[in-house]
Amino acid sequence: MTLPRISLRPGRPILDQLLFAARKAIFSGEFSPGQAFPSIRALAAELRIHPNTAHKAVQQLIQEGLLVARPGLGTVVGRPAGARKTDRRKLLSEEFERVVIDAMRVGLELPEVIESIEEHWLRLSKATEVRK
Amino acid sequence: MIRAVNLIKRFRRFEALKGLSLNVPDGSAYALIGSNGAGKTTAIRILMNLSQATEGTATVLGVDSRAISPRELCQIGFVAESQRLPAGLSTAQYLDYLRPFYGEGWDRDLETALLRQMRLPRERKIGHLSHGMRMKFALVCALAFRPRLLVLDEPLSGLDPLIRDEFMQGLAEQAGETTILLSSHEMNEIEGLVTHVGFIEDGRMLFEEGMTGLAGRFRQVCVTLAREAVRPSVAPAEWVDMRAAGNVLTFVDTRFSESGLGERVRAVIEGVRDIDTEPMALRSIFTAMARRAAAATGSEL
Repeated sequence: MTLPRISLRPGRPILDQLLFAARKAIFSGEFSPGQAFPSIRALAAELRIHPNTAHKAVQQLIQEGLLVARPGLGTVVGRPAGARKTDRRKLLSEEFERVVIDAMRVGLELPEVIESIEEHWLRLSKATEVRK
Repeated sequence: MIRAVNLIKRFRRFEALKGLSLNVPDGSAYALIGSNGAGKTTAIRILMNLSQATEGTATVLGVDSRAISPRELCQIGFVAESQRLPAGLSTAQYLDYLRPFYGEGWDRDLETALLRQMRLPRERKIGHLSHGMRMKFALVCALAFRPRLLVLDEPLSGLDPLIRDEFMQGLAEQAGETTILLSSHEMNEIEGLVTHVGFIEDGRMLFEEGMTGLAGRFRQVCVTLAREAVRPSVAPAEWVDMRAAGNVLTFVDTRFSESGLGERVRAVIEGVRDIDTEPMALRSIFTAMARRAAAATGSEL
């Protein structure tokens, strides 16, 4: 078993792509809390990546509380807790700035950007609602 | 795991290696990349003690490569593009033949699992296997004793996409347990697996680096101008493979950093409207660097 709907693109850091796909799968409800998450070996084999990279991703997700290690059983999906302060700050300052710059670069208007963010938000939170 | 210092190899008057040094860290998956004839196979043959360096030294698993004995070979899996296997034996007979060399080290469960995963027949004459199946079988033979070091010389060449994919899957699954040195031209296929890259050109190491550092410092930069683009007469040396087409100037920044790129570009190029940067796949990094190397020596690509 591996992550649903993931295809890695060359040129971008594999670890980032893997983390993104895993977070998306968890927040969009493709994995529910308590469900088994793919093993490091399965991820490596399925995605043709180095097991160390898969290991790093899983460790990072455990740190974020998205995965929980169950000794002897592997990892299961946890309940996403409230974000840490540094994560919030990083998102609000750096990541959004990047989005705004890119949006300006391609000539988008502010309402279009907000609308698009809303769409993504609703889609993902609907998935989480259904799960609860 | 492997360290080579200043390897020189001459074949009569031809110098295949001109002082090649390389360092494969423990636990890494190291890809040796370079154009045809750059010296990859020559280097690997020296490391495997299949050929002697004219000058220079190499150590493999802590042993001088010229002194590699069966004791070390029991810990090294090796698959070459031109892998020769006894055509007259069946797969099962060949595995029976190999096992005693590795004694306790051979893992029969892993052998069975790998044969199944690679969709290989248990009992078929090796001479009747297709090239792709032979390469997969060679990989099974090289992995089944859980080697400390796995060396693969152009393992994917001549394989169809499905077989390549199965090969890579088998490799990725075992990669955590072994150090890997491989040479390949199939860079998109190996990109996810490799942790280190050594770039050989004309018998020398151009650079060797971890994948994270490499991916971080290379960017394809695309500058859109208000008028027709021409290549600037002066540009930083770290900008390579510069091309002008229409109003767009593109180049590869080999020392990329987000901050200050705009100023650096505007300092040498007038009328900049927009600057766009894209991360680069290993394959694009390779072609950009190979073109630069070729331009430097004045040869045609």
